Amino acid sequence: MNNRKTSVFDGILGDNMVLSSLMVISPVIICGDTLKNAEALSYAFTSVTILSMLIASFVPKKLPYTVKIIIYAMISSLVYIPVKVATQEFYRGAIDRIGIYFPLLAVNSLIVLQSEAKFFRMPRAKMFFSLFFYVVGFDIVMLLTGLIRELLAYGTINGRVADVDLPVSGLSQPFGGFIFLGLMCGLYRWIRSLVSREKKEMRSEPNVSDN
Amino acid sequence: MVKAFRKERIVWIDLMITLLVLEVMSYFYYGPRSAVLAGMCVSAAVIAEILSLRLMRRKFTADDLTCTSDALIIALMMPPVIDMKIAVLAVLFGALAAKNVFGGRRNMIFSPAAAAYVFVLTSWGRKLLLYPEPHTKTGLFDDPEGLVSSASYIYNTTGKVEHTDFELLLGNFTGPSGAVSILLLAIAAVMLMFRRNISVGAFLGVISGTVLFAAVTPVAGTRAGSVKYSLIMNMVLFASIYIVADRRIAPKREYFAFFYGLFIGIISYILVLTKALENAIVIVSVLLTPFALALKNLEKKIEMADYAERAALRENTAGAADLPEADEKEADPHE
Repeated sequence: MNNRKTSVFDGILGDNMVLSSLMVISPVIICGDTLKNAEALSYAFTSVTILSMLIASFVPKKLPYTVKIIIYAMISSLVYIPVKVATQEFYRGAIDRIGIYFPLLAVNSLIVLQSEAKFFRMPRAKMFFSLFFYVVGFDIVMLLTGLIRELLAYGTINGRVADVDLPVSGLSQPFGGFIFLGLMCGLYRWIRSLVSREKKEMRSEPNVSDN
Repeated sequence: MVKAFRKERIVWIDLMITLLVLEVMSYFYYGPRSAVLAGMCVSAAVIAEILSLRLMRRKFTADDLTCTSDALIIALMMPPVIDMKIAVLAVLFGALAAKNVFGGRRNMIFSPAAAAYVFVLTSWGRKLLLYPEPHTKTGLFDDPEGLVSSASYIYNTTGKVEHTDFELLLGNFTGPSGAVSILLLAIAAVMLMFRRNISVGAFLGVISGTVLFAAVTPVAGTRAGSVKYSLIMNMVLFASIYIVADRRIAPKREYFAFFYGLFIGIISYILVLTKALENAIVIVSVLLTPFALALKNLEKKIEMADYAERAALRENTAGAADLPEADEKEADPHE
């Protein structure tokens, strides 16, 4: 991979799980058409992922890989039950709107794949912070997508009518979600390249104090 | 390379001539609003093209003017009284999201006009599918009144067409402003085919598929009527010339292009027959883009295999040219 130093904040900009690795994109594309859906999905994703990974980090590392993945999936499925009950309480009707993508959050790629590949190789404190910022990175993308798509597609913000002259209802469709996410990925990469170019330039500038 | 560039410009000029003729006809039926709509679309396309080329750090050349023909196609597929903002958004979508995001005019996957049409259909379908009657002139800033469904919609749902053949030929019936002038479209098709500006195979494929299925399973009462109206309605002729037979999208080999067009013709006819889906051909042409890409990949593989075979043959002949001297030397003792 690249030689740059990894930071616990990478999950937000440097290695955003949706915009950089294109992980967990289906709920963003299919269900991220309103802010209410986005809020419910962000809440459920954050709760299920952080709680499951924290509990799963205590699973003995000596167990075979396959067994560990099965145990992680079982843990996240158990965590999913109270999270679903709470979501029904906080966001009424959201689960019906989101459909199959809601239970699928329990086996998202952060828990099933990245846990072993990345997070469980870190010390527990660092893992927690890193995981937290990865989840925050997902939440930011999810909420931004929900907000902008709802505004442009329905002319509302969180269900309240906004002054939009010409709603583009195609953006509420999955194909609109694909296009929107594609444009966001392009923008993200452009910002990231700008940041990295600036860092390189700063490093290559001669240090004045040396003279 | 120079020849390819010249060819691209000549194709664009020919396409623009035919499109401008259709625009003149639209002006005749719907007044200056139609011309202003076309002008807005072309201006928006040029601005979008210049901006996106600047972002890609490329220069705007005469070849990039092909964006204007795409814009004109979009304008001619819409009702002349459509909201200007919708038309401009459609052109921007076609130029930016359907073309330049994929790398510009040399890496095109979708027909920008078809993708833009589908985008408008999903977002403002009601506004897109209601048209003014011919000879109804709407002012530039007036709200359109008395909009009606297209003749295609009536044909799809009832199987009837209440227009004479003369009216149909001259485009004197409700529908998209540029896609109704059947006589002009037929002339444009012949001209563009003879000048090799459109894919002949793809065009004939669409016509064959539509004619075949219209004759086998007619929408209208008689087979002849079904064949005639299936070609005239639902933008079949217009889309088969300017979208399906677009040389940038259709496979290069006429044989492959024919089957590409044939499938589009058949599937769109089935959609019209079973779902009464208006202008299904445009939607199907976008959906069958992967098929066109697969055929293009197959063409590349065949070209590579041909090239490898020719290279091997050349090596063999070069080897054979060297061999006779040795053969002669070896052959002599036996004699």
